[in-house]
Amino acid sequence: MRGRHLGSMITVALAAAAVGAVISASVTQTSGQAQNTRPARIEGKPNFSGIWQANNEADWDLEAHAARPGAVTQQGVYPYDYARVPAAPVLALGAVGAVPGSIGVVQDDGHIPYKPEALAIKRENAEHWIDRDPEIKCYLPGIPRAMYLPHPFEITQGTNKIHIAYAFSNTARTIHMDKVAPPPDDTWMGHSVGHWEGDTLVVDVSNFNDRSWFDRAGNFHSDALHLVERFTLKTPDVIWYEVTIEDPQVFTHPWRIAMPIYRRAEPNMQLLEFRCNEFVEEFMYGNLRKQQLVKHWEGDTMAVDITRKVPPGDQFYQWYGR
Amino acid sequence: MRHLCSGSIIVAAVTAVGGATVLPTRTSAEAPAMKTAWGEPDLQGIWTDETDTPLQRSPKYAAQEFFTDAQRAELDKERSALLSRDKRVERGTELDVAGAYSALFMSQKHTGARTSLIVDPPDGRMPPATPQAQKLATVDRGFRLALLQSTETCRNGSVACSGGKYDPTPSPRLAELPPRYNTGRMNRHDGPEDGSLGDRCLTIGLPEFGTAYGGSFRRIVQAPGGISIFYDVGQGQGWQRNIVMDGRPHLPSNIRQWYGDSRGHWEGNTLVIDVTNFSPKTDFQGSRENLHLVERWTRTSATSLDYVVTIEDPTVWTRPWTVRQEFTRQNDQDNRLYYEPRCIEGNYGLPGLMRGARAEELAYAQGRGPNPATKDNATDFVGVEVDPLQ
Repeated sequence: MRGRHLGSMITVALAAAAVGAVISASVTQTSGQAQNTRPARIEGKPNFSGIWQANNEADWDLEAHAARPGAVTQQGVYPYDYARVPAAPVLALGAVGAVPGSIGVVQDDGHIPYKPEALAIKRENAEHWIDRDPEIKCYLPGIPRAMYLPHPFEITQGTNKIHIAYAFSNTARTIHMDKVAPPPDDTWMGHSVGHWEGDTLVVDVSNFNDRSWFDRAGNFHSDALHLVERFTLKTPDVIWYEVTIEDPQVFTHPWRIAMPIYRRAEPNMQLLEFRCNEFVEEFMYGNLRKQQLVKHWEGDTMAVDITRKVPPGDQFYQWYGR
Repeated sequence: MRHLCSGSIIVAAVTAVGGATVLPTRTSAEAPAMKTAWGEPDLQGIWTDETDTPLQRSPKYAAQEFFTDAQRAELDKERSALLSRDKRVERGTELDVAGAYSALFMSQKHTGARTSLIVDPPDGRMPPATPQAQKLATVDRGFRLALLQSTETCRNGSVACSGGKYDPTPSPRLAELPPRYNTGRMNRHDGPEDGSLGDRCLTIGLPEFGTAYGGSFRRIVQAPGGISIFYDVGQGQGWQRNIVMDGRPHLPSNIRQWYGDSRGHWEGNTLVIDVTNFSPKTDFQGSRENLHLVERWTRTSATSLDYVVTIEDPTVWTRPWTVRQEFTRQNDQDNRLYYEPRCIEGNYGLPGLMRGARAEELAYAQGRGPNPATKDNATDFVGVEVDPLQ
């Protein structure tokens, strides 16, 4: 049996006498989408299917922070931290290279409870952001970061698997709602096993490696990372997304982030490719060219000399191998 | 039963009596329902082609669409004898070292029922290329051969140099751009663009007929109005496509994608997907931005799925052609699918090729090494036995 329509609302109620179960689906039509019937509920549960994107500054820094003049800054004329100026890597970008402020998404006291030695690593990460942030190299983003990258993702809520396809780096994960064997190795994107608590989708994520970061501020974790995500549909177009983050090697106690994630409501929205490993080739391998593409610019053209010293041990292949 | 309406409200109530139920309450031990709870054909699961079938029919079997049982048994015997064999070329040569892949790295499956994946044209072969495509292919091949002409590979008459000839004087074409955007490996590593798409972690997507290195799995997950397919191919080089199912037209022609733009609809029990908008950086048998695919996915039993794809590019082939595969459903519990297209994260190969080339150039400039143009840093897979099926 099948219900299908244009431009309105359908309610389909289907009672299967054999098992006495009833499913109902109310279909809300989005204008302009000819035949896209997206039930609000599917098999008795909220339907998260669709294209979503966070609209916040969490990827810059999970913690509350003021706006600053550049993703990379240097000391200006004043010696004060609050008077730093953009540094070479983003200097040519003007306001586009600046970082927006945020009230933060870390819950409770708003701070990530680092162990002292881990906090030192976080600060060092921030200092060497360009050389260490996996996002810059188009590496797999990990979870939860993939959920609030400034790129859309698509949820396909199937029968016993909920698939999430991320535009960034062409990556994906499946939330297993049924029984499944653990993965054979640690992973960037984790191993996601879900269940329902009422109308909330709860996902346990484990089997991480220690490579991914939480944000561009150098917040990091070890391979002991364990997440519990909670997805709650606040309205048909807003998911309230909460994550409890646990990693006894890095944090003194579990902590939480929470944020809304919004439906991309454009009637013709679709997930486009963002195969960024192509985009970062110059960044990663430009120095290995026979003839360098980036030379010295002259004449009317702005000449920018960028010195990017890679700290010892932070060559990408050294980083990967350690 | 089906309702189709415009601008109103429908309430439909259906009572199913007896044992039949559309509710997917099954456990993994039970046969999967053939329809989803919302009434669409259920294509969900992990699917793979469990047998090996060559794309094109060998002239040996020109008159046969299917192998006989005896032929399959014989081919399986011959092919299994190749497993773990390590074919060597002359010891101490560049090519022997380049043969890092022995048969151990290849996966071999049982011989399939058909003599070719191609079912149309009826001779199981790709239709003739257009004169334009033949010319492009010849020009491209000529460029690659020019880059090899001063190497041992050509001097020894290796198959990698077929169509070319040895010339101790390096070709001036080493300084030229390739005739088209490069997608394959060439004997030059001036920059990342000289690398093959595979070496650059930019694996080619559709159509996907599997590789001998690590197999080819696809997981289909369906929701009302949306279908997601994740491909796990090669050595963990996965990628995904999300099928737009609402009947809207293709993307504007200025948006070009590695995996094209997929628009699906149902024709009875068959999912029909029209794929266009391919990037000019992709290459399937010479077809690039004009590639047009029409795929037909039909669930044929609890464990089987019929896949038929018609491939069209009037600039490359004189007529459309069609490939057919039968996929078998894999166990969901085993978690066989590898979701991480983890390639750039550990890609030593591409920077290694460039770093090596720079080191050879320096050594030559300092009188410590041979002219890099006489070295072959492109040819590999010489250690792999020829599969009699191919």
